[in-house]
Amino acid sequence: MSRILTTHVGSLPRPPALLERYRQRADVSSELRSAVAEVVRRQRELGIDIVNDGEYGKAVRRAIDYGAWASYIYERLSGYEVRDLPDGGILRRSKDRADFAAFYAEDGSVKETVQARPRAMVCTSAVRYTGQALVARDLDNLRAALDGGKATAAFVTSVSPSSIEALQPNAHYRSQEEYGWAVAEAMKEEYTAIGNAGFTLQIDDPGLVVLWDWWFARERGWAEYRKFAEARVEMLNHALSGVPEERIRYHLCWGSWHGPHSTDAPLGKVADLVLKVRAGAYSLEAGNVRHEHDWAVWREVKLPAGKRLIPGVVSHSTNVVEHPELVAERLERYADVAGRDHVIAGTDCGLGGRVHAQIAWAKLEALVAGAALASKRLFR
Amino acid sequence: MSDKIRTTHGGSLPRPAALIEMNRARSEGQPVDERALAECLAASVAEAVRLQKAAGIDIPDDGEFGKATTQAFDYGAWQSYIFARVSGFSPAAEVPKERLRRAGSHGVALGRFRDRRDWKSFGEFYQDPEGGPFAGKLGETRGGGIGGARRPVCSGPIRYTGHAALKADIDNLKAALAAAGMTQGFMCSVAPGSCARTEDAFYKSDEEYVYAIAEALREEYKAIVEAGLTLQLDDPGLPDSWDMANPEPPLEAYKKFARLRIEAMNHALRGLPSERIRYHICWGSWHGPHVTDIPLADIVDLVLAVKAGEYSIEAGNVRHQHEWRVWQEAKLPEGKVLVPGVVSHATNVVEDPEVVAERLVRFAGVVGRDNVIAGTDCGLGGRVHPQIAWAKLRALGEGARLASRQLWRSA
Repeated sequence: MSRILTTHVGSLPRPPALLERYRQRADVSSELRSAVAEVVRRQRELGIDIVNDGEYGKAVRRAIDYGAWASYIYERLSGYEVRDLPDGGILRRSKDRADFAAFYAEDGSVKETVQARPRAMVCTSAVRYTGQALVARDLDNLRAALDGGKATAAFVTSVSPSSIEALQPNAHYRSQEEYGWAVAEAMKEEYTAIGNAGFTLQIDDPGLVVLWDWWFARERGWAEYRKFAEARVEMLNHALSGVPEERIRYHLCWGSWHGPHSTDAPLGKVADLVLKVRAGAYSLEAGNVRHEHDWAVWREVKLPAGKRLIPGVVSHSTNVVEHPELVAERLERYADVAGRDHVIAGTDCGLGGRVHAQIAWAKLEALVAGAALASKRLFR
Repeated sequence: MSDKIRTTHGGSLPRPAALIEMNRARSEGQPVDERALAECLAASVAEAVRLQKAAGIDIPDDGEFGKATTQAFDYGAWQSYIFARVSGFSPAAEVPKERLRRAGSHGVALGRFRDRRDWKSFGEFYQDPEGGPFAGKLGETRGGGIGGARRPVCSGPIRYTGHAALKADIDNLKAALAAAGMTQGFMCSVAPGSCARTEDAFYKSDEEYVYAIAEALREEYKAIVEAGLTLQLDDPGLPDSWDMANPEPPLEAYKKFARLRIEAMNHALRGLPSERIRYHICWGSWHGPHVTDIPLADIVDLVLAVKAGEYSIEAGNVRHQHEWRVWQEAKLPEGKVLVPGVVSHATNVVEDPEVVAERLVRFAGVVGRDNVIAGTDCGLGGRVHPQIAWAKLRALGEGARLASRQLWRSA
C-alpha cells in the first residue's frame, strides 16, 4: 500500500425515492436494490476505498434521522414492546442533559433529534434474533452492487449489544448483566452472517462510552462504570466469536447529536478497554472539538501490531466542510503516532441523516482530497 | 508583557431575555420606557463583564449589548446597529430601483446573500425548509436585513449621529469594568468595508461612498479609543465579500477592491494609536459549508496593511484551522499580536480545554508565546445557544491556563 486508504462510518443520505417508500411503510425491495447499487457507484467514483451500502437497508422516516443505526434492530429482534417511560425517559440520568437543560429544551438543532424519549422499545420477554431474511437481503444487495468487486473492500454495520442496552431498557431479565448477555447472544447471529458473507463487520458501539454520561456520571462514579464497561467488552467479544478478527472493525463514538458533549468520557481513560475488543481496526471520533486532541492518546497507548486506526477526520458536528489541508494535517498527525500503514481516513460518525445530503457528500469529497494530500507527503 | 496567554473573544455575547424583549417591542413601534431600557442595558453589561471575568476572560467587552437584537438568534447585529447611528440610509423599498448601484469597484460588484457562490453550490441545503440540523437559526439569517425590501441602502449624505448611544455604551462598559475590578476592555465597531456593502444611490463613485462611511465611522472609532478601550474593527467584509462576487473575480481585481476599503479604514484611523486597535476578520458566521471562502494566504498582506496592533482571525473551525501555517510564511511584524479563534460558533460541541491548549501552543510555536491572545472565531452571542456560548468561553479560559502552564514551564 502506498497511500492512505479512505472509508467512512456508514450512514449516507438516503435518496428521496427510498425515503418516501420507508415513510409509506411500503415494500422497499426493488427501490433499495437500485439505491444500494447507486450509492456504491457514487462512493467509488468519489474515491472511497472501503465502501458500504450507506445503511440503506436500515429504515429511516425522515431526511434527518440520528437513530437508524440502532433502531433498525427493532425489526430484527423479538422480545420487545413499546412502553411509556418515566419523565426524561432513557436520558433522565444524563449529566450533559442536566448541565445544559435550557439548551436541550430550547435549541432548534437538537429539539427534534434528542427529545427526552418518553417511550422506548422495552424488553419484556426473551430476546431472539429474527432478522435473518433482512440481513441476507442487505448482504445480497451489497454483493450485487459490488458486481464482482472485492467483498473485503466493503463493510456492513451492525449495532453493539451495549448500544441496545442503552436504548432499549430491560423489564424481563433479572439483572442488567443477564440482559446484556442475552442481547449479545442474539446479535451474534447477525455478526456471524455478515462475517460469513466475507464483508468487514463494523460494530457500532457508542453505547460503551455514552452510558458513562447516561447512567454513571451523575451518581455512580468511574469505578462502577469501568466494571460495567469491562463486562460489556466481554459480552461483545463473545458475540464476535464467529467472525475472524481481521474482518472486524470496531466503531466508537460519543453519540452524534449536536449537543455540547461536555461529559464525554476521555478516550485516554477507556483506550485500554477499546483495545480489548477483538477487532482488526478501530474507528474513533477525532474530527470534532471534543476529541480532536485524542490523537495524543496514541503516544502513550501502544496500538498492537497489525491493528489499524480509522480516525474521524471529517465530522457531522458542523455544517462547515473541512478543508482538505486540515484533513491531511489530521491524518499526518495520526500517521506520526501510529505509522502511516496503520491509518485509514474515516469520519466521526455516519454523515447521512446528521447533516444535509449536499454537505455530507461534500465532506466525503474533502476526505478523499485530504487523504490524497497526506499520502503525497507521507509516501513520497 | 504577561507571563501567560491572555484571553478575549469576538464580541457578541448572549443577550438577556429582558433586553431582547424590550428591543423587540421598541422595533415594532410599541411604547417602551426608555429609562427602564437604559437601566436594563447597564445592568446587563455589568453582569456580562462579571460573567466574562468568572469564565477567565482577561479582556472583556459589553457583549455588544448596546447593539440591539430582537431575537435570541441574530447573526447581523454587529453591522445592522450602525444604520441607527448614521444618517443617509433608507429602506431599499423607498429608493427607486434604477438609482441603486451595487457596491464594489475594480470590476467587483457585490451581490446579495442569495447570490453568494457558496449559496449557489449548496442551493438545496440553503433552501431546505428543514434547513438541516441548524434549522431555525439559518432561516433567521436569511431575513436578517441582508436581503429584502427593508434592507438599508444609501440614499443621502452619511453623517455620524450615534453619539448618545455610543456614549451610553462606553459609560456602561467602563462602569462594568470598574465594578469588576478590571482595567482592560474592548468595544466593537463595524469596519467601513463591511458597512459599505449595501447599494448606493447617492455618491458619485464607490470610492466616495466608502470614504464617506469611513469618515463618519471615525467619530465612533475615536471615541472608543479616547475612552481608553481597545477598538475592535469588525471586518468580515474583507474575506467574505469574495464570495458575494459572482462569478468569481480575478484575485488581483478583488485585492484592489479590498485595498481601497482598507485604505479608507486606515484613513479613518489616522492619528489613533495602533496598540489600541484590534482588527477582526472572519468569513461570515452563518452555519453553511463555506467552501468558497478565500484562503487567508491570499489576503494576509492586506490584513497586515491595517494599522492595528492586534489581528483577530478565525482559526477554530474546520475551514480555517489549518491556516495557522500561513504565519510560517507571512511574518507577523514586531510588536503585533495574533488573536486566533480557538473556540468556534460553528459547532454546538464545546471545545475540550485540551484542544484549546493544543491550538494555542501551535500558534505560540509560530509567532511566539508573547504575541498570542486566545480568542473566538466570531462573537458567540446570537450564533449558538446561550448555555453553549458561556461554556465555550469557560473552555477558552481553561484552555489558555493549560497552554500557559506548558508554555511558561520551561522559562
